[in-house]
This record gives sequence, C-alpha cells and structure tokens, in this order.
Amino acid sequence: MIALLTFAKDQTVGIARVLGLTLYYIVRGRTDRRVVLEQMWEIGNRSVFFVIVTLGFLGAILIFQTSFQSQRLFGDVSLVGPASLPLLCRQLGPALCGLMVATRVGTGIAAEIGSMVVTEQVDALRMSNAQPVDYLVKPRFYASLVMIPALSVIGVFTAWMAGLLVSTAVYHTNPSTYLNFGMVRASDAIEGLAKAVVFGATIPVIAAHSGLEARGGSEGVGAATTQAVVNSSLAVIALDFLIGGIAFVVKAA
Amino acid sequence: MSIEFLDIHKAFGTNKVLDGVTLTVEKGQIVFIIGKSGAGKSVLVKHLVGLIQQDAGRILFEGEDITHYTEREFFALRKRCAMVFQHSTLFDSMTLLENVALPIRKHKGLSHGDSLAAARDKLALVQMHEMAARFPADIGDGLRKRVAIARALTLDPEYVVFDEPTTGLDPVSAVRVDRLIRQMSDDTGVTSIVVSHDLRSIFGIADRIVMLYQGRIRLDGTPADFRGSDDPVVHQFVNGLPEGPMEL
Repeated sequence: MIALLTFAKDQTVGIARVLGLTLYYIVRGRTDRRVVLEQMWEIGNRSVFFVIVTLGFLGAILIFQTSFQSQRLFGDVSLVGPASLPLLCRQLGPALCGLMVATRVGTGIAAEIGSMVVTEQVDALRMSNAQPVDYLVKPRFYASLVMIPALSVIGVFTAWMAGLLVSTAVYHTNPSTYLNFGMVRASDAIEGLAKAVVFGATIPVIAAHSGLEARGGSEGVGAATTQAVVNSSLAVIALDFLIGGIAFVVKAA
Repeated sequence: MSIEFLDIHKAFGTNKVLDGVTLTVEKGQIVFIIGKSGAGKSVLVKHLVGLIQQDAGRILFEGEDITHYTEREFFALRKRCAMVFQHSTLFDSMTLLENVALPIRKHKGLSHGDSLAAARDKLALVQMHEMAARFPADIGDGLRKRVAIARALTLDPEYVVFDEPTTGLDPVSAVRVDRLIRQMSDDTGVTSIVVSHDLRSIFGIADRIVMLYQGRIRLDGTPADFRGSDDPVVHQFVNGLPEGPMEL
C-alpha cells in the first residue's frame, strides 16, 4: 500500500512538473506553427473516424436502452431524445471522447516520446539547446487543447444522431419529437466544453510524462504506453467528477 | 586547460556503475575510454555534458566546477562541448539538412534559412551534402552516423565526446570517421573523448587510452603502455581473447 502511494505521489509530482514546464515554455518559448498544425492533424483529424464510430455506437446503445426502460416503465419514449441531449453535452460526450482520445492519442504520444528517450534522441535534443518539453510537449498541448473540444462536439452530435436513428427505426419516434432542444441549457454546453478543454490540456501532459519516464528498450516504451493510458483514463474520470461537482455547486449557488 | 573528473560515483539502483573514477583530459588530446559492455564508459562521459548527474564527486571544466550546473548553464557548455551518440539520434520528422541545422538555430538563434545554409557546409564535411533533402529513414546506419557527426560539429566545438562512433559502420566509413577525429585534433586542436570497443580505432588514433573495469580505472596510458601491459585483464581486452580473468 505504501509503495502504491509513493508511486502515485511520484507520478503526480512528475506530471505537475511537466505541466509547469509546458506552461513556462508557453510564456517564454517560441512556437513553431507548422509543428502545431501537424499535431492538430495527428490528434484531431486522424481521431475523427475513431470518435465517430465509438460515440455513434455508444449513443445508439444509450438511446436504445433508455427507450427500452422508459417504454417499459412509462409506456412513452417521447422524452428520451430531448432528455438525453443535456446528459450527452454535459457528461457522456466529453468523458467518452476524452477516454477514447486518451487511448488513441495518449498511447501515440507516450510511444513516440518514449522511443525518442530510449534511443537518446531526447538527449540529442538537449545537446542541441532544445528543451524536450518545449520541443515535444508544447505543440501537442496546443493541438490537443483545440482538437479535443472539437472532437467532443463532433462526438456529442454523432451520438445524438445515432440515437435518432435507433429511436425512429426501433421505437418509431417522430424525428421532430426527438430533435427537441427544449431541455438543454447553455450551462450544459459550457460545462461540457470546460471538461473537454481540461481533458485537452491533461491528456498530452500525462502521456508525455509517461514517455519521458521511459527507460530501457522496447519493454520500457511498452510500459510507458500502458502507463499513459492508465494515468490519462484515471485523470479523465477524476476530472470529470471534479468539474461536474464544481458545476453543480456553482449552479446551486 | 582541461577536463577533470574527480572521484565520480554513480549507481543505478543497486548496480554500482562508477566507483570513484578520477581522470584528467588535457586539451587537444584524443582520449579513448575503453572497457567491456556495461563498464560505465558512456555513463562517465555523459556526466560531462549534464545528461547524467553523478551521485558523488566533482567535475571541473577548464577549472570551473560544473558539478551543480543547472540545465540552463549546461546549454552554454554544450555549445563548446558536443556529443555524438551511440545511436545516430537523428530526428525522423526532419530532413538531414534540418537535423544538422537544429543546433545552429537553437544555440545561435539564427533564422530557419540562415541555419540551413550553415548546415549545408557541415554536411559537406562528411560528404553528405548531396543527400541533404533526404529523411533519416531513407538512408543506412552508416550514413546516418555521418550526419550525426556533422550535427555535432555544427557549432565548431572545442571538445567532442564520441560514444562508439564506428560501431555499425563498414570498415571504409569507420576509417573515415577515425581520420576525421584525428584531423580535427591536428588542424583545430579539438579535444576528443571517444568511447569505443573498436581496437583498430583505439590503436590507430588514440593519444591516450583509459580502461574502465569494475567501476574504476584499470589502466591509463598510451597505446604502447596497453600493448606492453602484463595486467591479465588489460591483456585479455586488447587482444580480444574470449578466455581470461575478465568478468562478463
């Protein structure tokens, strides 16, 4: 237990250090726009298909199961579509998208940086007066900060539309009944976007930290990749809970 | 003016790699650090450029104590003391020319265009200028290593640390690298610290050889001292004998 707590503390301190250095170089360093755009393509565009497929199926399952229970209990599914939109905007959309991106993008970042560490490319960067966090982490941080909220919006839209297909095909709901925005508030969208931005800032930092900690050869890179997925996923879930709690308190006040 | 390693200790976990190494490298010398794999040769030289921090001991660079230098202070030192790594360590996303230009851009703050122009001359030094637009993945290991050497020389360093520069090279390329190291020393007085197992290089260009064994210096002398040594460990190593007292 003590070993686990020590490990958790070391990981947290290490991640905080990478985050601090990233913010420092955002303020002090220069940014290569070309590299940021490349990373936006890698993190955003190349994740779109994955997010659409996973969020589409999850949205369809969500609406199917909710409609099934709603019909059994109330004999009516007309509120399922309108009621599911705030849930998707505020909670499920950003969280599921964050988890998906943590697996696809987080592993990519950790594996790439980890490989650079074990083949001494990171040492070569340091010899070239290029700080690894400035050169490797900052562009990914910028890219992720923009693209994860964008992916979340696409994910929410896809999930809700997949639900529409299920609702009309299986439960014969009128599309105009399903496509009712009356239950969603601006605060739901703001909370969802806030979560997506925080996940966008967190995932690349955590994944990069795991990569920078890689030791040994390919085994070390594998371990770093696994660590990146575990840490990023835990962070997404914990931050989702935390931001959700803060939003609840703010709204109640 | 010299580099002094004073009683350097370094362990990774329970594995004690360096156990009190004291070594002085005089300016202009070509010093080979030799020893079996895992003897701590690369670990020792990486202390000099701040890539590894020693557990105990001090390092003096031209009389200045760099033991507790920060990363920022090491940046200034790395302009004068370059390193060629064991792996070629070129960045896959950049062309060969951009790889060589990176230290110029970062250390000297030149524009992208100016740094590329300066880098082209350095590529010519290792006969790689005609392949400047290629990517590292498009060329072989030997050529990559030559580009890595060009990158290390971009800032005209006074000291260069070579970590196994001829490993993986064909004999002709290896001789060219040896000749380049000798030429730099003779023409511009560059000090070279070379980590190597390559006996042909060691006895071909070394001014001085230092052998590490069990975390300490086993013998420090000229090539002639090593050839004439009656130490069985040294004798086994320099003759490449599979049988002998040397621990695996």
